[in-house]
Amino acid sequence: MTVLTTWWRRATVATLAFIAIAPAAYAQASADGSGPLVSTEWLEKNLKDPKLRVVEVSVNPGLYEKGHIPGAVNFSWHNDLNDRVRRDIVGQADFEKLLSRSGIANDTTVVLYGDNNNWFAAWGAWVFDQYGVQNVKLLDGGRKKWEAENRTLETRAPEYAATSFKVAKPNPQLRARLTDVLAVVDGKTDAKLVDIRSADEYSGKIFAPPGAAELAVRAGHIPGAANVTWSRAVNEDGTFKSVADLKALYASAGVDGSKPVITYCRIGERSSHTWFALTKLLGYDVRNYDGSWTEYGNAVGVPVSNPAGTVWASK
Amino acid sequence: MNVSPRRLDATLRGPWGPVFFAALVVLAIGWGASALGAQSGGRSLAFALGLGAVLGVVLQRSRFCFYCHARDYFERGDARGLLAIVVALAVGTVGMHIVMSGWLPVPQPGRLPPEAHIGPVSWALVLAGLAFGLGMVVSGSCISAHWYRLGEGSPTAPFALVGSALGFLLGFNTWNGLYTATIATAPVVWLPLHLGYTGSALLQLLLLALAAAVLWRRLPAAEAPVPTPASFGAALRRLVQGRWAYWLGGLAVGAIAVVIVLRLRPLGVTAALGSAARAAGEAYGWVPLRLEGLDGFGGCATVLAESLWRTPNALLIAGLVAGAFAAALASGQFAPARPRPSQIARGLGGGLLLGWGAMTGLGCTIGTLLSGTMAGALSGWVFGAAVLVAVWGGLRLGLHAR
Repeated sequence: MTVLTTWWRRATVATLAFIAIAPAAYAQASADGSGPLVSTEWLEKNLKDPKLRVVEVSVNPGLYEKGHIPGAVNFSWHNDLNDRVRRDIVGQADFEKLLSRSGIANDTTVVLYGDNNNWFAAWGAWVFDQYGVQNVKLLDGGRKKWEAENRTLETRAPEYAATSFKVAKPNPQLRARLTDVLAVVDGKTDAKLVDIRSADEYSGKIFAPPGAAELAVRAGHIPGAANVTWSRAVNEDGTFKSVADLKALYASAGVDGSKPVITYCRIGERSSHTWFALTKLLGYDVRNYDGSWTEYGNAVGVPVSNPAGTVWASK
Repeated sequence: MNVSPRRLDATLRGPWGPVFFAALVVLAIGWGASALGAQSGGRSLAFALGLGAVLGVVLQRSRFCFYCHARDYFERGDARGLLAIVVALAVGTVGMHIVMSGWLPVPQPGRLPPEAHIGPVSWALVLAGLAFGLGMVVSGSCISAHWYRLGEGSPTAPFALVGSALGFLLGFNTWNGLYTATIATAPVVWLPLHLGYTGSALLQLLLLALAAAVLWRRLPAAEAPVPTPASFGAALRRLVQGRWAYWLGGLAVGAIAVVIVLRLRPLGVTAALGSAARAAGEAYGWVPLRLEGLDGFGGCATVLAESLWRTPNALLIAGLVAGAFAAALASGQFAPARPRPSQIARGLGGGLLLGWGAMTGLGCTIGTLLSGTMAGALSGWVFGAAVLVAVWGGLRLGLHAR
């Protein structure tokens, strides 16, 4: 047997092994675009589909303007998806106006993507879901993966014929309030809390991640919450891990879908990312607590677990 | 008087050696840009370095300096420099209005084009412009010109830039008081919101045409037409060693200010300096813990960066200084000198005023005046008028170096 044939055999075995393993490891985004995630490749092939609307939800201003996925419209997290006065998601009438202006109709498939590993795009998906909008998907890997693969970007803002889109009243089943969380802490409701912040925020060593304002006057976490940092749910390229891996990851923290789940973080956007993984990919019953630590950590008289013992404003 | 091409070219006949070194500097910039571009997340940094170098060459070759231009007009009755600024503003106004109408097709209340240098208009802004103008007179330049003079080996520029950093620290310490006194409630006026893009562009071009008409009355006696270079070599020599026409500098600065917003933030030359001053100040406790509302405004933001030297603005400045250095080398204008005490004092003192004005006004003659005005910001016009008044007053009072 020549050296060449040996190499050939090895290469064949390696390729076959890769093909066998690859779907389990990487094929989160279904090839036909039917699942909750779409791949960058699928999106690029379907960009010309008039029934498809790509929406960028990034937190950094100016990103969309300097280059976005061709045909994508821009939704501002602060101005379009939030109420600008009250701390609340955008109101029903304004949300209808936003979708109508973007030419979204009942038979449109919406694909959301954004910067920062889709944090705010996932938050957008949560808002769409509360208003009962169907066929809303997330671009697996978000802006980071699209750019890393050197796919086309454009700077022109598209103009779509306006529709007259109507949405349902927000579904309260997707959103946890402070009282819901306290009912879990007090043992009145049987649910599992998942804190998706970093280990240092969870333990109370720090109040907020680097670069973010300290908006809570207490450090630590909600008693009984498990800590599964959001980033553990993604691969290096920003795509979600496989369903099997995600199941194992959350099961190891006691989250197996047997009870309802409540996710939270600091302001509710990173926890939307985990909400998306648990609800849309694993099919668990999950609510996002968007009040999160900036509400809970400021609430008077609520129990707090603070293993690090950090005291606010004390030097 | 008519100059023969041969005689004009003979006056430029310097040695080619410095040109060779200048070419090496340009190669080094190119190598730096391509190395940065190959890194993850380095594309915008590479672009900033390259565009900064082009800007440095343009500023140095055309001596695009707000103070020199204003002084030429007030003291020597030569309006060509100020006309170059009018050209830059006109080119930039047209370009920016085209870009912004794509970004925000329908101007709506409460929304501004992302990162645009549109600031609050208050008496604090007027004070900032006046301080900045006086700083220009005392130190002999605005901040952008100090950056390019650094590349010429100016003995004053390093002190003026250190002084500016100190001025930023002073500005951070007076910010909260000014913010609650006036800035918080001051209107942020963006002309396209009130007049539409067409109305805003037309109004600005009309005002610039009026300014040009006034300036046109003070042009120097007709210059002899510049003869065509005798050969390609002579043309090249004139390009790298002869001075560029004023209007060419204005045209190029206007174009660069538009091109940059397509890839980076609007043109500004103080963000990196201000951030560095803020970071150092915070480390030593010289900056208030909270700067009210500051990071919510557009302009030359001083938001703390995780790695200051890897920000586009820092690389833009690095490119600017390197480009100006190459241009100064090639043209024989690189003339480092030992600083005299008076130059140190003027640099530090003038720089303090420049820095305070740039911090309080959220930018300098580049960031607030040029980039802001081009974007249709009333704050740009107000800052520009205050700077001009202060330069006129400062010269009348004889505050400048002689």
